Amino acid sequence: MSKKILLLSSVIFLSSCAATSISELGDKFLDLINPSEAPSEVIDLSEPTLILIDGDGGFTEEELEVLSNDELIEIAKEKGLEDMLEIDADGNLKNRDEIINALLEAEALLDNATQELQSLSNDALIERAEEKGMDSIVVSGELKSLSNDELIEIAKEKGMEDVLVLDADGNLLNKDEVVKALTDNLIILDEDGNIQNKDEVVEALREGAEETKLAALILENSGITSILYFSFDDSEIDEIATRIIIQHANFMQSNPSFNLRLEGHADERGTREYNLALGENRALNVKEVLGLYNLEDRIVVVSYGEEQPILTGSNEEAWEKNRRVEFSYY
Amino acid sequence: MKYIKFFILFSILASFSANAILEVNIIKSKEDSFPVVISSFPVYSNNNVIIKDTQIGNEIASIIRDDLNRSGHFNTTAEKINTIPDFDFWENHKKDAIVTGKIVQTSPKTYNVDLYVYDVYTKKQLYGKRIGVTNASIRKVAHILSDKIYYTLLGQKGAFNTKLTYVSISHNGHGDSKYRLQISDADGYNQKTILPPTSKPILSPVWSSEPGRLRKIAYVSFENDRSEVFIAYPYLGINPTKLPRFDGIASSPSWHPDGDSIALTISKNGNKDIYIYTLKNQNLKRVTTNVAIDTEANFSPDGKSIAFTSNRTGQVQVYIKNLKSGKISRATFEGSYNAKPVFSPDGKDLALIHRVGSDYRLALLDIASRDLMIMTQNKSDESPFFSPNGGMIIYGTNHNNKGILSIISLHNNQTVEFMHKEGELREPSWSNYSN
Repeated sequence: MSKKILLLSSVIFLSSCAATSISELGDKFLDLINPSEAPSEVIDLSEPTLILIDGDGGFTEEELEVLSNDELIEIAKEKGLEDMLEIDADGNLKNRDEIINALLEAEALLDNATQELQSLSNDALIERAEEKGMDSIVVSGELKSLSNDELIEIAKEKGMEDVLVLDADGNLLNKDEVVKALTDNLIILDEDGNIQNKDEVVEALREGAEETKLAALILENSGITSILYFSFDDSEIDEIATRIIIQHANFMQSNPSFNLRLEGHADERGTREYNLALGENRALNVKEVLGLYNLEDRIVVVSYGEEQPILTGSNEEAWEKNRRVEFSYY
Repeated sequence: MKYIKFFILFSILASFSANAILEVNIIKSKEDSFPVVISSFPVYSNNNVIIKDTQIGNEIASIIRDDLNRSGHFNTTAEKINTIPDFDFWENHKKDAIVTGKIVQTSPKTYNVDLYVYDVYTKKQLYGKRIGVTNASIRKVAHILSDKIYYTLLGQKGAFNTKLTYVSISHNGHGDSKYRLQISDADGYNQKTILPPTSKPILSPVWSSEPGRLRKIAYVSFENDRSEVFIAYPYLGINPTKLPRFDGIASSPSWHPDGDSIALTISKNGNKDIYIYTLKNQNLKRVTTNVAIDTEANFSPDGKSIAFTSNRTGQVQVYIKNLKSGKISRATFEGSYNAKPVFSPDGKDLALIHRVGSDYRLALLDIASRDLMIMTQNKSDESPFFSPNGGMIIYGTNHNNKGILSIISLHNNQTVEFMHKEGELREPSWSNYSN
């Protein structure tokens, strides 16, 4: 009997929902819903779990501040600051502030060139090294686990025979030395295309980076301006610009070891993606002029659009400075 | 104009997500908004007797009020109503509708929510249902209730239970900037940084329209010191993949509605044209061939055409290409600069950036009639994107020389601003409906 009443009440409820006129039910209406009554609709609101990708980027102070002591200890160990850690008997970090400062300092101490190279992605580093003429080999496993014959073969193939010290029977006498020479001079990739000897490649390129600084210095002393400016929404090369480009052409011809990176930029006005295209057109037009001197093969063109202004601010003074192509030698 | 200011605090979820503070401004419009009373929702434990937690009930009602206010359609008031409302009383107080309800928490992640919506003038109940929800956070429960109320009162789908993606930039004062690819709820809450911060620029993130875990984000990154298009999979835990190295720079991705292909700009031999890249078979198809700049492609909702920006006439204008017939027609005729078009969800309008004098402003173009309506008085609007129900447009703009996000209601131009206390926000895009 009571079951029937319950059933009836739910029928009244459901039909009243449909009819939308329920005012006659009065204050009791809200109580009519029995908790055992099934919802008219069940929605699963579960959200897919966000899975964050961890990176090897640097830390800012605010990022370090929010870390737990255990996390800080972990990072300090990774960064080779283990000997600085003061840990009490319970394993708690005693000198938290000191460690944070040390981590920040360690980062600042990396000289600019090294830091820049270290921050490059795997692909960008390979590309930079290849541009610099470094040869690459793919090795499954570690180089030192290869047989002597395999090492001899690699050295010969890569034009490094002179490192090899062989006995009368052709056996390798200086394996360690050969492994080191190969590691220092080649890009060693695993089967997935990841660099195995990142530190050595960075070191090899750092020397190249010093050459880049030298190139910049020579250019500066030569009095050639390294930035060309453009009119609004325009990528035309005018007479003044042409003259500057010709100076760069001469500079490149007299410094054949330097390659040129042309970076196109735009001011903040207009949409970002259009400005990316505009910046590239500016750099391409400069490249076209240099192409008359057969220098195309030594030039790469990139565009940053409006992303890297020289001056911030929304005024003509800033805009003029930001519509530009930068010449950077490496 | 009246400014309502409040602060939202985010909790720290990953080592690299800084404890960011997002500030929200509502520049309120008094025009055309429904006065609606949203009562707090008492929360009962399973036995339906004891009020378990008034705070959760207040919080849910408060989130619903914020949601509805943000849409521009409503002007909500807080009350506590536990019975059938006294309609005459509310009519005298010039309220149009009353929302009441109660919540029974049946397990830690399961709620039964009774929701009632009443029309004050006809004294009728417009909605009255028990909704079961599982696996929900308080905020998510509130958002789906907002969707129900929105639909009941306006007959249109709400877009409160959706996500944003955008780029944040923090400057450390030494001239170094960190770019972060962010996602958040549609109200700016639950911001998460989905990739490690980087000093290399990130541009143009955009959600694909698949549901749940399969949803991905295409974006442009300078990680390798040149512009390239990547796809991030925030819910799959795999590293972003880079589209294959095309012969030139790649930029400006836009998803086909089916999520299987991407329209993008590729610069081959210096000529920037639009291509469609199909992920599965890695097929690359050229869509435009003009020697001018063609970029900023956006697929129509039916996937049958694309709108894009081109300077082919010497001026920057917006064009639409019918992908079947191959016909390209110019869409914008007013002014000398119209760029970055995006289709409305019904495919009838384009939101775009239009230059007025020296200012770049958000504008809405009726494609058929060619009527162009300028939506703001700003100096530098960018990157518009529609909410999936077409009721709002989110875009990037500047506030005191700082990048912020703005959401404008197409109902009455009410504007909501999201800004970081420090740092900048840019390049927003809105997800499709969640389920």
